[in-house]
Amino acid sequence: MQKAFGRKKVLLMFLLPALVIYVLFVVVSVVWAGFYSFFDWSGVGEKTFIGIQNYLQLAKDATFWATVGHTLIYTVICVVIQVLCGLLFAIFLSRVTKGRAILQTLYYVPVVISSVAICQIFSKLLSVTPTGVINAVFSVFNPSMATMEWISNSHVALYVAAFVEGYKYLGLYMVIFYAALIGVPKDLEEAAIVDGANVAQQYWNVKIPYIKPVIISNCILVLNGSLRSFDISYLLTSGGPGNASELMSTYMYKQAFSSMKYGYGSSIAMAIVVICMIVGFAFRRVSERGDTA
Amino acid sequence: MSQTVKKRIFTVVKILVGALLLVIQVYPIFYVITSSMKTTDDFRQLASYALPSHFNIDNYIKVFTTSSMVTYFKNSIIITVGVLVPLLIISFMAGFALSKIKFRGNKKILNFLMLGLMLPFQVALIPLFTIFNNMGILNTYPAVILPQIAFSLSYSIQLFYSFSKFLPDEIIEAAIIDGCTPFRTFIRIVIPMSTNSLLTVATMQGVFTWNDFINAYTFTKSTTMKTVTLGLNDFVGFMGTTDWGATFAAITITVLPTFIFYFITSKSMLSGLTAGAVKG
Repeated sequence: MQKAFGRKKVLLMFLLPALVIYVLFVVVSVVWAGFYSFFDWSGVGEKTFIGIQNYLQLAKDATFWATVGHTLIYTVICVVIQVLCGLLFAIFLSRVTKGRAILQTLYYVPVVISSVAICQIFSKLLSVTPTGVINAVFSVFNPSMATMEWISNSHVALYVAAFVEGYKYLGLYMVIFYAALIGVPKDLEEAAIVDGANVAQQYWNVKIPYIKPVIISNCILVLNGSLRSFDISYLLTSGGPGNASELMSTYMYKQAFSSMKYGYGSSIAMAIVVICMIVGFAFRRVSERGDTA
Repeated sequence: MSQTVKKRIFTVVKILVGALLLVIQVYPIFYVITSSMKTTDDFRQLASYALPSHFNIDNYIKVFTTSSMVTYFKNSIIITVGVLVPLLIISFMAGFALSKIKFRGNKKILNFLMLGLMLPFQVALIPLFTIFNNMGILNTYPAVILPQIAFSLSYSIQLFYSFSKFLPDEIIEAAIIDGCTPFRTFIRIVIPMSTNSLLTVATMQGVFTWNDFINAYTFTKSTTMKTVTLGLNDFVGFMGTTDWGATFAAITITVLPTFIFYFITSKSMLSGLTAGAVKG
């Protein structure tokens, strides 16, 4: 097999299409954005080369740094909801005996709804005038909650957006965790039971360590997904009120396509790439160190 | 406490937890479907959580008569198929080759392709927008399709890479010895053995593409090119007043294909993921 598949022509045939499209669109775009970031350009007309002016301006741009902070908070919330709750959902699912298939399918439902629809649904559920479902439910416990503002409240808008994002994709990570959990070899579980482990110990000492690679890869997916998340903040809260829930990516988009500052937008894009890379590599470092310890 | 009583309590707790999680995950779509049958008066007079006063499909009629929902469906179908078919073929070939063929630079190419997982897609928007603009292909299908293929490659290749590890070498070997060319072996032997993984990736990426917002939003301009996700905003009026009945009816209609697709494939998706999950 190695001989037949290992020939250059065969290898090229299998790898080239993916590599060409990847380089042409992904790699070239990033390089291109890097190129634009040295220009002052409104998208039409002449580009003016201004060196690193955009980056100097970016370093002093308080709004940008605020969006970096928002994105980090947003990411932490998403990791907690998607990884932790996703794992708990999956553990619960693996303990259910009756109707498991139907539950698994139904728990996945929010994942298949588009973010545009999710945002419309939540803006209605969270509405204040008329009282939306969520405020109506909360006001049962505390009547003052009936008038609680969510989306237009600068103290909570960011958390609301992060919660909606976490909620939307929770089911996806649940299914991956669940698939990993049922893939744990039966004899491991039986050995643990023979050793007198109770259910909690079986999970904590046997199953969770066994699926650790899946937990790590899910963490990476969630990290990357949330660092670049765009839709919910853009659609549900429009980054507002003010810029209370503005994220790096929505800020970049607005600078480029609304304010027509393509050069400045590109320098933000490059900053996002660097931040994503740093977080990605740092996480990989930490999780690999955990492996050898 | 006797064993049976304990067991029974556990069962009750389990049912309660299961029901609670079910409400959290399913309520929004239940709310959408019931609200899609509410009249304007229902929205004004009934409590937000109330059911519609009577069965009424006016909102659905409105969706099809006042907006170009049929065009949006056509566009979304063309774009989803246009992304999925090439994406599945090229990412499966690459993932398979990287996991099964040993050659120099194998790991490097894999790592290079995996960098895409860390790159935020929005970075590409400005360059792609200007490039597409210069090429005059803004507001066409390729402008929406190509970036989505490119930026879905990394994750799809990663999935196919881990799935392919589980393909038995012996069968592939046997086909080669029988005189099959590598390409024929791939078509005749590898693909039929991998239906679960193909369906897993197809389901995941198909749903993402169907629901895509930012590509369609950035690269299309005219109503005739809108996708169903963009069409959902058709019922938001100028003054920010939304026709909620029609919006919810439109959401119901656009979500339906993804539900059906997911219900059909969820079983193979689970077995596909189970095979690929642990070895990562």
